[in-house]
Amino acid sequence: MTTEYLKAVAETNDWWAIAPELLLGCCALALLAMEIVLPKHEHRFIPRVAIAAQAIILGFLLYGTYSGYEGGTSFGGLLQHTASGHYGRVFFLLSSLLVCFLGTICLPRTRMPRVEFYHIVMIVTAAMMLLVQSNHFVLFFVALETVTIGFYILVSYFRDNALTLEAGLKYLVLGALSSAIMLFGIVLLYGAVGKVMIGDVVHTGFEFPVVADFLKQNPDSFLGVVGALLVVGGIAFKIGAFPFHIWIPDVYQGAPTPVTAFLAVASKAAGFAMLLLLVDGPFAPLEGVLIPVLSLMAAATIIVGNLSALTQRNTKRLMGLSGVSHAGYLLIGVVASFRVEWAAGAVWFYLFTYLLASMAVFGVMAHLAGTDDTAQELDDYERLARDRPLLAGVLAVGLGSLAGIPPLAGFMGKLMLFIAAFQAHLTWLLAVAILGVVLSIYYYFGWIKSAFFETWRPTPAAETPGGRLASLAPSWISALILSVLALATVLLGFYPGPLSGWLVK
Amino acid sequence: MNIGLHEYLMTSALLFALGFFGVLFRKNTLVIYMCLELMLIASTLALVAFSRFNGTLDGNVFVFFILTIAAAEVAVGLAIIVALFRKRHTVQVEELNHLKN
Repeated sequence: MTTEYLKAVAETNDWWAIAPELLLGCCALALLAMEIVLPKHEHRFIPRVAIAAQAIILGFLLYGTYSGYEGGTSFGGLLQHTASGHYGRVFFLLSSLLVCFLGTICLPRTRMPRVEFYHIVMIVTAAMMLLVQSNHFVLFFVALETVTIGFYILVSYFRDNALTLEAGLKYLVLGALSSAIMLFGIVLLYGAVGKVMIGDVVHTGFEFPVVADFLKQNPDSFLGVVGALLVVGGIAFKIGAFPFHIWIPDVYQGAPTPVTAFLAVASKAAGFAMLLLLVDGPFAPLEGVLIPVLSLMAAATIIVGNLSALTQRNTKRLMGLSGVSHAGYLLIGVVASFRVEWAAGAVWFYLFTYLLASMAVFGVMAHLAGTDDTAQELDDYERLARDRPLLAGVLAVGLGSLAGIPPLAGFMGKLMLFIAAFQAHLTWLLAVAILGVVLSIYYYFGWIKSAFFETWRPTPAAETPGGRLASLAPSWISALILSVLALATVLLGFYPGPLSGWLVK
Repeated sequence: MNIGLHEYLMTSALLFALGFFGVLFRKNTLVIYMCLELMLIASTLALVAFSRFNGTLDGNVFVFFILTIAAAEVAVGLAIIVALFRKRHTVQVEELNHLKN
């Protein structure tokens, strides 16, 4: 390694390309500084600063010059700026913005410190934004661990609640287990590839293009295939695919509601972004192994997720298990992306519709959560339509979109995924998915029913009418945000053009 | 006896398997946590061995990243375990099963 080589690598450092991530990290640190500097009665402004900063960065990302970077690499091949990476950055920033909004609803109910929540959410988001652009296994692993360790803290954030801590411990043990499995896979790939000389520069099995070349030439390499399967297994944990979904219901129930939303939306999307990154790049030559494995995983995930969600009464567990079945539908899209080029765009479209609908539902859940964040039952939604028609309407739109009812956005998302699967000749997977959708209508409509229709009880409910719901009036700003989410879900169902034209090429 | 890449990899795979089955079957949270660290150490051993026998330095550099990540993970993990112990006065997994419907 000569000085000239290192100089050439240093010249590829393009700091402007990662300016959004850097800004996000600096803002996160600035929040902590503000907590020290500002007097105590001014602390309520800090969450607003966090949200405003993220909104500005999001605008910067959407209207900036970032599409000009598409295709190129920077930082000596650590990062690759692809269209998929750009969608991922926008997605993660949007979801963290909404999670911070949920935080402003839920955090004031507890005596926990507040500023650190926004700080960690922003750091995790910056790491996820780097993760979707990674082109090197070291950056991939470090960014992923930054996300995971941040989530350990977030899941057990309400540390005065024993159930939350229990969920935190479960997430910790299983998350660390999956990271260790993935790390071993990365090590095996590194060992399988060995030393590759291109010109007089040494390349190793950490670089995605080198791994792709190696697997193309040796698709039967034992170490390579085992390594790839271990990496995919680690990702399957993040997306909650069968048989790695066992942690989902417990952790979703125990985690604070904003963190449950963050796990359900951003963490799952990060898993799919990683999977798309790998099956499109280094693991593309392994389709003979990966297509059967991922297809079986998708089918099992859809069936298990839907069947176990049928009997749930706790809304957070219900969201978790129905999220498992959504991961199954998305896996079908990933399998289809081996053969149909635009399927990756369909996966991103589905993720965006899932983001809007889930955040609408979690927004309603955050308003209805009592002092004990882990006990949110379907029975709490009784009389919601009469007492809070706006929240009930948003809930109905969100759940309808998740169930895939036409004309809502979720229907368009499912339709695009299923067309991609059909074009990829995955007919039996398609049949399983449609069966799953039919099953899911049962529990989603059970939830809507408990909000809109009164259930008959042998003894009248002990609560005074409106007593519990009266304290839950959404502020005008949260009413506005929830209405925008519901409206976007309806509009995207009728006019998917702008979003699908951007994502599906 | 000549110790080569093969022996190092067998040791590493053995350590990894020990850690993996330890996580699955042990009942004490702290022991489970030690088993998780064992899995990370198994990966670093394999990395160093591959790095030595392939003649590339990248593996050795990655080990430092893994050690840093493991330290961060331990700091957060032990904090959670201690907080849980203060609430429940136990770290046995069979007693930590209150999240059920």
